[in-house]
Amino acid sequence: MTEPIIVVRDVHVELGGTAVLRDVDLTVARGDIVAVLGVNGVGKSTLLRCIAGLQPPASGELGVLDRPPSDDSGFWRDVVLVGDEPAWYPGLTVQEHLELMHAVHRSSRLDVEAALDLFDLEKRRDMAPATLSTGQRQRLSLAMALLRPSLLLLLDEPERGLDSAFRSRLAAILTEYAAAGGTVVMATHDLEFARQARARELTLEAAA
Amino acid sequence: MNDVRTARAFIRSRGRGPTSWSDRYVSLFTLTVAAAVLADPLTTAFAALTATSRQVDPSRLGAGIALVALAYAGFLSLARRVGPVVLPATDAAWLLLSPLPRRNVLRRTSAILLAASLASGAGLSLALFAVLAGSAGHDTLVLAVAVLVGLSAAVGGMAAAVVAQSSPTWESWLRGAVVSLVVAAVLTAVAGSGPGRQVLAAVTGAPRSLGAALAGLSAAAALLLVLQAWRALGRIHVSSLLATSTRAGHLAAAAVVMDPGALTWAAEDNHWRARVLRSRPWPALLSRGAPWPRHVVSAPMALAWHDWRRLARRPGRLTALLGTAALPALAAQAQGGLSAVAVTVLTAGALTAAAVCTAGARRDGEDPGLARLFGVNARAVLAARALLPALMSAAWLTLALGVLTVTGALTGPWWLLGPLAAPALAAGALRMARRRPIDHSMPVIDTPSGAVPTGWVVWALTGVDVAAIGCAPMLYALAVRPPDTDAFVAAQAVCGIAVLAAFLLGAKTGVRRG
Repeated sequence: MTEPIIVVRDVHVELGGTAVLRDVDLTVARGDIVAVLGVNGVGKSTLLRCIAGLQPPASGELGVLDRPPSDDSGFWRDVVLVGDEPAWYPGLTVQEHLELMHAVHRSSRLDVEAALDLFDLEKRRDMAPATLSTGQRQRLSLAMALLRPSLLLLLDEPERGLDSAFRSRLAAILTEYAAAGGTVVMATHDLEFARQARARELTLEAAA
Repeated sequence: MNDVRTARAFIRSRGRGPTSWSDRYVSLFTLTVAAAVLADPLTTAFAALTATSRQVDPSRLGAGIALVALAYAGFLSLARRVGPVVLPATDAAWLLLSPLPRRNVLRRTSAILLAASLASGAGLSLALFAVLAGSAGHDTLVLAVAVLVGLSAAVGGMAAAVVAQSSPTWESWLRGAVVSLVVAAVLTAVAGSGPGRQVLAAVTGAPRSLGAALAGLSAAAALLLVLQAWRALGRIHVSSLLATSTRAGHLAAAAVVMDPGALTWAAEDNHWRARVLRSRPWPALLSRGAPWPRHVVSAPMALAWHDWRRLARRPGRLTALLGTAALPALAAQAQGGLSAVAVTVLTAGALTAAAVCTAGARRDGEDPGLARLFGVNARAVLAARALLPALMSAAWLTLALGVLTVTGALTGPWWLLGPLAAPALAAGALRMARRRPIDHSMPVIDTPSGAVPTGWVVWALTGVDVAAIGCAPMLYALAVRPPDTDAFVAAQAVCGIAVLAAFLLGAKTGVRRG
C-alpha cells in the first residue's frame, strides 16, 4: 500500500449519550476509492464528518494528510466535502457558481464549459440553483467539487437524486479522479454504484 | 356546527384542549395589565405629539404628510409581500385541499387581518392627527376626521391587498398605488419647502366641511373594498394560498428559532426563483491565474464580487435605498430641526445601507458548506467583503448629510463624515451578518419595567455595538453640533479605520461547525 492519506484508529463517537461509532478502523491510501456501506443510522455520515474535522471523536486517533483534521481554510484547500445541499449564493446562476469556483482556484481540474457539459447542466446554465430539481442541484454540487483541485473527496450519498444513467457516469468520473492521484471516501446505499466506481467496500455495523 | 368547525373541533380534540375559564382569565388579566402599563406612556406621547405641533408652517406640514404617506406605502407593501391571506402550514396542507367552503376555512385569517388593519389604522390616525392638529386645530372634528381617514385607509388598503391576491389587475393597481404614494410623499416634502407652500397653506385653511366629506368618502370606499374582499375570499386561488402559507411557514420557522434574519432569505429566494438571469463570466482581474501580487487578493475578491453582482442585479432596490437618504432630512423638517429621531434615522439608515450588501457573509455564516467548498482564507474574504458595504454606507451617509445641509438642518462640511464613518459601519454590518442565532439559554433579568431577555438584547446589539463605537465622534458631533467640525472629522477618520482593523483582526476565522 502507498502512503496513507487517512488513518482512523479505534474511533468512538457518541451523540446524545448514544454510541454511534465504536472502535472503527480505516486506512485509506492515495488513489483509493472507499465506499462506506451500512443501514440507516449506522454512522456513515458521522464517520465522514469525523474525517472532515466537523465531529470530534470521544476517543481514538484520526489523521488526514498527516495532520489531525481541522475545520479551517488550510484544510479545505486539500479536502472537499459534498454532504447536505449547500445554501447557494443568492443572485448567481448555475454557470456563475462554477465561474466563481474557477476564478478562486488557480489551477482548476476542468474549465467551466467542460464541467457544464460533463454534468449535463448546459441547458440550465442561466437558472438560479433554487429553480433546479433535486438531482440537478446535486449535479451542480458535484460539478463544483470536481472542478477545483483537491487531494481528497468526501462524498455523503453522492447518488442522492441522480438518475441511473448519471450514476454510471459519476462512477466513471470518480474512477478518473482516483487514477489521477485523488482519493475518494463516500458513504452510499447503492452497492451497484460503488462497484461501478471500483470502490473498496467498508460495511459499518451498528454500534449501539 | 358547520363542516369547518367540525374539522377544527376534531383537530383540537387530538391536540390542545378547549379554552378553559382559567385560560380566559389569564388572557383578560394580561390585556388589562398591558392596557394599564401602556395607557400612561401612550397618553403622554399623544399629548406631546399634539402639543408640539401648534402653529405649523407649510414646510413642516408637508414633511409630516410625506412621512404619513410613506408609512402607509410601507403598510401596503408589507401586506402585499406577506400575502396577506395566509394559513398555518397544517391548515394549508389539510383543510385547504378539501371540499370545505373556502371562505369558512379563511374566516379566522380574515378576523386576524381585520384586527391587524385596525391596529395599523390606529397608528396612522394618531400620526395624521399629530400632523393636522397643528394647522387645523385640536377640536373633535379634526380628531374624528383623522381617526376615520386613518382606519378607513388601513382597512381599505388591507381589503384591496386581499382582492389583489387573486386578481393580477388589482395586484398591478395596488403596486401602482404604492409607487404613487411614494411619489406623492416626495412631491409633498419638496413642495412644502418650496414652490408648493401656498398650496399647503391653502390646505390648512380648507373649510371643515371638506374634511368631514373626505372622512365620509374614505369610510364608504373602505366599506366597498371590504365587501369586494369578502367576495374574493370565496374564489381565492389555492396555488396563491399555498405559496403564501409556505412563506408563512418560513416565518413560523424563523419565529421558532427566534431569528428574524431568516425571514429575509424567504423573500430573497422567492425573488431569484422567479427570474431568469443571463450568466456572465467573472471579471478577468479577479482570476486566480493573475500574476503576482494580484493573485494574493484575487481569490478573496472573487468571492466578495458576488455581493457586487447581486446588488447590480437589483437596480430598483439600489435606487430606493439611495432615495431613502432623504428620510433624515424629512424627519428633521417634520420636527423643526435635527432632533434625536432624525439622528437615529440617519445612523440606522447608514447601517442598513451597509447591511444590505453583506449577503455573502450572512450565507456563509449560516451555512458554511459553500465556504468550505471554496477553501479560501476566511479573514481575507471578510476583508474583501468589507469594501462594498463601506462604499454603500459612505454614499448613503454622504448623500443624507448633504440633503440635511441643503435643507438647512446642518451648516458646514458635514458630508465629510460620510466616507470617514463608512469603515466602522461596514464592520458593524459584517458583525451583524455573522452573528449567531439568539441564545435563549441566557438569563432573563427582572427590571422595574419588566423582564428583559438578555439573549434577545445581545443578539440585537451585535453589530450595532461596533458601529456605535466606530461612529462615536460623528454621533457626538451631531449631538453638540459644534461650529467647527475639523477635530471631529479627524477623530472620525482615525476611529473608523481603527474599528474596522480591530474587527478584521479579531474576527474568528475558522469556518463554523455545521
